[in-house]
Amino acid sequence: MGARGDGGPAIRTAGLSKRYGEVWALADLDLEVAPGEVLGYLGPNGAGKTTTIRLLLGLARASGGRAEIFGVDCQRRPVEAHRRVASVPGEANLWPGLTGAETLHLLGRVHGRVDEAYRDELIERFALDPAQKVRAYSRGNRQKVLLIGALQTRADVLILDEPTSGLDPLMELTFRTAIREARDRGQSVFLSSHVLSEVEALCDRVAILRAGRLIESGTLRAMRHLSAVTVDVTFAGAVPDVSGVEGVDAVVVDGQALRCQVRGSIEPLLGVLATAGVTRLLSREPSLEELFLARYGQRDDGAGVPGVDG
Amino acid sequence: MTVDALAVSPAGEERTARIVVLRLTARRAIRSAVVWGYVFGVTVASAALSYTSIYKTAPERRQLARSFGANRAASALFGPAPKLQTVAGFTVFKVSMTLMVVGAVWGLLTSTRLLRGDEEAGRWELLTSGLTTKGGAAAQALGGLVAAASVLWVVTALVTVVVGRSSSVRIDAPAGLYFALALVASALMFLAVGALTSQLVPSRRTAAGYAAVVLGLSYGVRMVGDSGSGLHCLVWASPLGWVEALRPLTDPRPWALAPIGGFTAALVLAAVVLASRRDVGAGTWSGRNSRAPRLRLLSGPGALALRLSGPSVLWWAVASALSGLLVGIVAKAAGTTIVGSSVHKVFARLGAPGTGTRAFLGVTFVILAVAVAFEAASQLSAAREEEADGRLDHLLANTVGRRRWLAGRLSVGTAGLLVSALAAAGCAWLGAASQGAGVGAGSVLAAGLNMVAPAFFLLGVGALALGLWPAGAVAVVYVVLGWSALIELVGGFFAQNHWVLDTSVFHQMAAAPAVGPDWRTDGVLGALGLVSMALGAAGIGRRDLRAG
Repeated sequence: MGARGDGGPAIRTAGLSKRYGEVWALADLDLEVAPGEVLGYLGPNGAGKTTTIRLLLGLARASGGRAEIFGVDCQRRPVEAHRRVASVPGEANLWPGLTGAETLHLLGRVHGRVDEAYRDELIERFALDPAQKVRAYSRGNRQKVLLIGALQTRADVLILDEPTSGLDPLMELTFRTAIREARDRGQSVFLSSHVLSEVEALCDRVAILRAGRLIESGTLRAMRHLSAVTVDVTFAGAVPDVSGVEGVDAVVVDGQALRCQVRGSIEPLLGVLATAGVTRLLSREPSLEELFLARYGQRDDGAGVPGVDG
Repeated sequence: MTVDALAVSPAGEERTARIVVLRLTARRAIRSAVVWGYVFGVTVASAALSYTSIYKTAPERRQLARSFGANRAASALFGPAPKLQTVAGFTVFKVSMTLMVVGAVWGLLTSTRLLRGDEEAGRWELLTSGLTTKGGAAAQALGGLVAAASVLWVVTALVTVVVGRSSSVRIDAPAGLYFALALVASALMFLAVGALTSQLVPSRRTAAGYAAVVLGLSYGVRMVGDSGSGLHCLVWASPLGWVEALRPLTDPRPWALAPIGGFTAALVLAAVVLASRRDVGAGTWSGRNSRAPRLRLLSGPGALALRLSGPSVLWWAVASALSGLLVGIVAKAAGTTIVGSSVHKVFARLGAPGTGTRAFLGVTFVILAVAVAFEAASQLSAAREEEADGRLDHLLANTVGRRRWLAGRLSVGTAGLLVSALAAAGCAWLGAASQGAGVGAGSVLAAGLNMVAPAFFLLGVGALALGLWPAGAVAVVYVVLGWSALIELVGGFFAQNHWVLDTSVFHQMAAAPAVGPDWRTDGVLGALGLVSMALGAAGIGRRDLRAG
């Protein structure tokens, strides 16, 4: 199934900002999520991920800028915007006295649209006992209720804040399957997560937030391409000095093994290695975790990210 | 807690860790105990000092004692009134019952908040995972609460003893200490009641509700015992009756401390035993954890509010109906003794002129109106809790607007107030009619409706606070309620300064059915409530949702 949009983006923010007292929790966020796209939204604790989601859901008031869902202003007309959104909030309790089934019924009614057959299927796939009261559920089971509650609506946009926290690995796979199905149906997914393997497996595009600012946004492929490549080399004899070679960085020598990072072209390094008696050469692209950690460590505000041209 | 724990030497670490729950609970409860101890002390002081300025001569005092001493209406409402010709006797009569009830409310709210409230919020799991057991943690928390009750006593006693040194008051130190003990005894007992109900049910509000029902019954049973209806032995069936039996300053009977101590110890023991035998997060009466879905009243925010608040609305209605019935049954007997100028004067100051059943009902309905307003405060705090716990997020992230949610909550709250007030009035009429009191159903029901006005106004104040200052909304409502109740019930005896009296919302309502309801004032209160609600709705539309 193709995109369900009306031509425009599913989610669009322009200059979206939120200030708490003197602190800018989010500053000038410009972001778009296309219909049928899964966006991974990453950032360390306190970077502003949850703030963004609360602004999109109209739970917090923006200090500046706009947030739209299919062109409808989330701040001014939240109810209308939410007709096409389902969400899993990050820190939210459920009603302890209601059972799972009652909670799902309530969430469906306040959303307005439910695919009941799909809901029943999800209950089975997530192995949830809907007759239990929320009070008696484990944390993982409560999370399942929230997930099923969002997925059952088949909403055009899913906004998920740490959706798999508390889920066991098996259920995490079930979640990934459900998200892929949603994407294939043309639903957009805004996925804020700390589980980088999950983002790597699911997301078409990644946005990285730090201290309230967007420091990186693009497809994983492009980010990898522009980032440093890790090169491991083992030598037969002495390890040559490569620290002065163009593009080479973070050199670590351990006996006859050398590890370094290479940005840009690998050719200058190969030139040095050609005469050095290499017995083994391994180069690999960075994992999302490495990309992410590289951006965590930076002291600047994200301007001039090393190895990434924009 | 963390800082204290870090500050101890390694040798003391384990010992400190073993009593960490006690220290934490004590610290949190003692804050409010100090404030209330001060309020208790000031109330005692103002009663004693005003008496000396109003009733200056011995004949005036004897006249007061004659008219009030054997007055059944006064005794039913405020307890027996011996030795009114002395400062001590008058002070005891004047403040005891009100402070006993206020203390009991403080006790049950504090213990349910610190025991069940913390458990509901998930903090208990952290605490019991330390160097303690479930029963041990409960015992420590109770130790902390007893420490807070001791602080309440010390502060109350301090102020009382200081005032007692005044040459016109002359209450000696041991008598002052004993009087303060009597004032604090009900707080101690209801700390224990709240601790026990906190073990029984898994929700703080329900636990507080059950404890409030015990308090309501204690007051009602004692009232029947004190109303001169020949059932005096009933006072021994009520915890508040035991406190009364201590007879501080007039005819001290310290042996009455035995049932108070025994009752408290038994409840504390039961609470600790139950805590050790159940799962953390559950209640002894949790019931089954699974059931077939009940899908009624889940269609939207209003229906949900009705479903969630329904049980508590029902409890309030039942409690109001029972209180109304008791009031009605004793009204005729109590009302016939409202004679003599002093009683007239006091009742008139409370807004209920005249004599007989109507005058008695007029005053009791003001007290019932306080209870109905309490329900409004409880409904408002339920709404705030829904936001603070993040449950509201689920509604607003969907297609529910903020105003629609608030409107649903306020409608259910208002309906609850109407039901409780009319249930109380209807049952009061039934009780009175059963004794042949000859008051018309219409006028009593109108008086019931009259009770709704202050409560509705309070609900409006709460909605306004919720819109503008969510974190403080619950405190605002309870402070307005507590202040208004204290001023009306205690200040009404003296009525020296109408500016002070006018700050009480209960002082604005007419004491129907002693007089006809003042519909115009009720209308103004209602309109102010509505305007506040509208402003609150506007405010809530413009702010961030705020967690805990």
